Amino acid sequence: MTEVMTLLKFIEIVAGGIIAGIIGSVTGLGGGSVLVPILTLFYGVPIIFATGASLISTIATSAGSAGTYTKKKIANVKIGVGLEVATTLGAIVGSLTVTVVYKYSLEWVLYLLFGIVILTSIVPTINRGKYEGTKVVKPDFTSRIFQLQGKYYDQNQKKSVEYIGIRWWLGEIIMFFAGMLSGLLGIGSGALKVLGMDWAMNLPMKVTTTTSNFMIGITAATSSSIYWYNGFIQFYLAAATAIGVLIGAIIGSKILLKISNKDVRWVFFAILSYLGVEMALEGLRKGTFINLSGLDRFYIAIAISAVLIISLYVIFRIGERNGQRQ
Amino acid sequence: MDKDNEDLTKVISITLRTAVVVSMFFIVSGVVLMMIKGGGDGYTLAQISSYNTTSPTTLRSNLVPLSNMPSGIIDLDGIYFISLGLWVLIFTPVIVLISAVIDFVVSKNYLYVLLSAIVLINLTVAIFYIGPYLHLAS
Repeated sequence: MTEVMTLLKFIEIVAGGIIAGIIGSVTGLGGGSVLVPILTLFYGVPIIFATGASLISTIATSAGSAGTYTKKKIANVKIGVGLEVATTLGAIVGSLTVTVVYKYSLEWVLYLLFGIVILTSIVPTINRGKYEGTKVVKPDFTSRIFQLQGKYYDQNQKKSVEYIGIRWWLGEIIMFFAGMLSGLLGIGSGALKVLGMDWAMNLPMKVTTTTSNFMIGITAATSSSIYWYNGFIQFYLAAATAIGVLIGAIIGSKILLKISNKDVRWVFFAILSYLGVEMALEGLRKGTFINLSGLDRFYIAIAISAVLIISLYVIFRIGERNGQRQ
Repeated sequence: MDKDNEDLTKVISITLRTAVVVSMFFIVSGVVLMMIKGGGDGYTLAQISSYNTTSPTTLRSNLVPLSNMPSGIIDLDGIYFISLGLWVLIFTPVIVLISAVIDFVVSKNYLYVLLSAIVLINLTVAIFYIGPYLHLAS
């Protein structure tokens, strides 16, 4: 009987992992950003084990999808490795910080931070569709020194896209924080990585997303070993989520390469904003700043995220219309 | 993209996908073994699937000595199969980075030899030193 129950519970976690993997892969945020909220909010898993499992599945996702992307030569390995200098350092700082957080039972900080990270990830992810091509910029001195150029074949545009990256130093600074968040929250922090490469370094979105996917594995592996020895990884959970998220990510990466950036987004933003608000509320509740029942939390989260996503949608559409007029 | 970068890309792509397949093989067989045997490494299924962070019997990563891995694998212990699968995943980036370092050496791109070496050092220091020896929480 225990065997059957354990197996069912296992399959249930795998299913959650698949959902997280699809959403994470398509949005480029990585499975972890969705997996941790699902595990903590709906499966009642302590955040310490949820983040540990998330890190492991993040490596699996990254390896699985980066394998596909690097094969298609979209990811820029050189730029990725160069930026990993900062993310791995950040990951060490972050995962050491987290051991202290658990020692003093400050888990609520992680929930709150997690909510904030998800919610702030949404805007850069929305903006991502705005320019499918690259803005033409003047190469700066880091473009030459760090060889920030490349090209890839765009399946949607049916042509080869050449690009040049700039502001390597700013990319590195952002990557340090991306690594730190990765170590703290067990996520790939794809949104910050995307921000670093897209906004700071002016790389095309496809290159950014795929390179970020490649980098996430290296960052997560750095944190994972520290998590491992501190006992933050629970095998049963890690095994189930690694399998689930990987399957989800494979499905997601197939979707991502076929569709244009514009099609996917709004459905996922709605889910993400809901999860973000829930995590933030849960953090406030655990920190005893507010007193909410689970059901109240659910309704408030639905309401806040609905308002958030509708206003973002309106703002974005107006911005788009103005953009067309010019 | 230059020729050498393409070769590197190919090697990394193959490494990553092989690692995922190998790791998933061990994880899935570990789960199957664990379910068939009703546990692993002396822990019951209930202890293995427990989320209780305060209970000392909840099976978590620091309770499984990696030095027992070879004997655990020979004994067909599910927990050690899962552990091996997880460590294959953790080690994959190390292999990727080593191939990157070699590739940059071959293409005489010394700046990137240095950068990828730093990343490799960060990663190995985390795995072999900070992980096992530096426990701020205890």
